[in-house]
This record gives sequence, C-alpha cells and structure tokens, in this order.
Amino acid sequence: MTPTPIPDHIAAVERPCPALLKYYIFKAVVTNIAAPVTMLVLYFRYHTMRYRFDTEGIHMKWGVIMRHEIMLNYSRIQDIQLRSNFVERLLGLARIEIQTASSTAGSEMILEGLTDHTAMRDFLYSRMRGARHAHETAAPVSDSLAGILTEIAGELRAIRQRLEQRNA
Amino acid sequence: MPDAHAQNFIESWVLRILRVPPRPEPPDGSPDSMKTFRAGENYYSWCLLIWALSNVFILGVLIALHFLMIRALRRAPDWVHVLRDIVEVAAWIGFAASVIITFTAQRLNYALRWYMVTDRSLRIRSGIFELQELTMTFSNIQEIRVTAGPLQNLMKLADVEVQSAGGSADSHGSASGHTGRFAGVSNANEIRDLIVDRLRQYRDSGLGESHVAAPSGPGPEIEAARAVLAEVRALGAQV
Repeated sequence: MTPTPIPDHIAAVERPCPALLKYYIFKAVVTNIAAPVTMLVLYFRYHTMRYRFDTEGIHMKWGVIMRHEIMLNYSRIQDIQLRSNFVERLLGLARIEIQTASSTAGSEMILEGLTDHTAMRDFLYSRMRGARHAHETAAPVSDSLAGILTEIAGELRAIRQRLEQRNA
Repeated sequence: MPDAHAQNFIESWVLRILRVPPRPEPPDGSPDSMKTFRAGENYYSWCLLIWALSNVFILGVLIALHFLMIRALRRAPDWVHVLRDIVEVAAWIGFAASVIITFTAQRLNYALRWYMVTDRSLRIRSGIFELQELTMTFSNIQEIRVTAGPLQNLMKLADVEVQSAGGSADSHGSASGHTGRFAGVSNANEIRDLIVDRLRQYRDSGLGESHVAAPSGPGPEIEAARAVLAEVRALGAQV
C-alpha cells in the first residue's frame, strides 16, 4: 500500500512562527532572577527548532550545545493534547502535546509555535491508529481473493460440463 | 443545552477577555454516533464545596497568623507594627480578591467542560486559564476506571477515566497525558457502557494481541476454495 501524501500546508511547516519568540521572552521574564539564562536557552531553542513532516512520521530537532532530535511515527501516537494558556492565546499560539506508549510522565513531543494548530491536530488525528476503521483498507483484498476462487470454480464447472456432453 | 450551562453577561465578558474559544469541534467520525456529555448539575455544587472548604482553611490560617503576629511582636518597636499592619492589610485584600476570582472560576470551570464521544474517538475539553483539549482514539484505550468518593456518591457524581498506554502516572493515575477524565458526571454508568460498547468494535485495541486467533466461521475465501475443490474432484471423475 502506498502511503498517502502529506497535505501541502502540513509539509510546509518547518520552523516555529515568530510569535513563539515573543512567548519565550514572556516565559523568561516570568522566571525573574534566572531570566538571562532562560532567555538564552529559549532563544537558541527557538532559532534551532526544525520540524519535518513526512509520510511516516514527525521529525523534530533543536539545540546547540545539547542537541535533541525526536522521530515519532504517526501510528504510534496514543493521544493528542491541545493546550494553551492565556498568554499563548493572546499571541495566537497553542502547544500540541503528543503521547506515545513510552513510560515518561510528560509528553514525548511538544509541537510549539504553530500558526494553525487545530489543522495540525486534525491532521495528526487522521493519521493515528484507530482514526479510520480497519475494514476500510482490508476489505478489497479478501473480496478479490474470494472472487478469483469463485471464478476458477466457474471455469472448472464449464470444462466439466463440456466433458460430460462429449462423453455422453 | 441545559440552562445550567448558560452564561450571563459577566461570564461571557470574562471569556472574551481570556480569549477562550467557544465549544470545541467534534472529532472525526460518523456524525450520527456523536454524543456530547457535560458535567452533572451537582458538579457545580461539588466545586463550590471544595472551594468553600479550601477558603475556610486559608481564612483559618490567616486568623491564626494574625494572633500569632500580635503575640510575637508585642515588644517590637512601633515601625514594626506599622509594617505588620501593611502586610496584613495586603494579605486580606489579596485573600478577598482571590475569593472573588476563584468563585467565578468555579462557575466557568463547570460550564466549560465538554466530553465528546464518537464511534472512533473521544475529545475532552476543560479549563479556562489553561485550556486543554484531549483527543484519543478507542483503539488506543487500555483501561476504563470509574471512581467516586463518599461525598461524590452522596451527590450522585463520579469521574470516568480512560487511559492509554504508557506514562509513569502517580498512584492516583493522574498523569498529565495518557488519561482522559470525564470529571463530575452524573451518568457515569451510561458513559462507561457506551465506551465499553465502542471498544468492542476494536478487537485489536490497545497493545494486546493484534490478530484475532481464528475466524469463527468459514470466510468467503474458504467457501470459494471448497467449491473449487469439489469441481476439480468432479472433473477428475469425468476424465
């Protein structure tokens, strides 16, 4: 089965939107004394964050000193959470937290700084396991096998009937 | 929509200020199967009860601190007393403001809860300041749990929790992800039965054995293959 192609608006997402940097500045200011350090970390996180959505899954990487790279298969997604606090909503942002079946208490992947987060959430939902019924893809295969066997039986019956006529 | 969930002028104004979007979009699935549950009417009373109890506790702490301070600072100079008065007035104003804000929040917390169930998945939306929208398909659900404390029992309320695989949850199973909570519902059994019924459609649910061991009756392929065999035998008899 060939994998269904990724919609253009999803494949186009590569970098977080600039509003995320504003949110990071707010986040750093809130930390008070630690603000310079937090800002530095978040600044580099924002500038190095890259997304790639292909037919199999999501690739996400960030970091300069500590490099992080996460690859996650769509079919392994357990549940999707869309979260947003007041400040994020003011900036038009939301986080998409994706859980897989691993044993970390937090989320395995957090997609930040997406302009159209509901479209992304709906896309991920359409690719996760169980969003479509199993028989939608499985049905034609079994039907065709039974169909071919029935046709073979029909052909054999015709040959037998012709043999019977000739012998009679 | 029941009247209990209707919003008054102040509430809709607060929601506009906080940029809270209206009701969530239902998840993909057949539209006929969509069912939306809301928190039970007693859930608001339950929230108010918890709110009142915690505020009474804080009030007690504040009063105790007041008398402790008076006793401890009995021999302190005058400027310390002035400082103490300022701190105390600030604390009381803060307390009064938090009482008003959290009271409104209780009402909104109750009104802004949606539990949507379709034939394939469920979506749970909750929260005001921190908004949460959880989407989970039935094929990923590992367990269903219905819990109700003695007080909740009295108010005919219960929480239905559905969990997906993974997540090192604490002993109460309240990890941030992996758990969908239908908090404070008055028809917990109905919701549980509905989810169990929907789960039945997914034999390969969760992380268990993903293949059904053997089909119960002969499938169409077997029937067709038997017909071929019968024809071949009949043909052999003719030759």
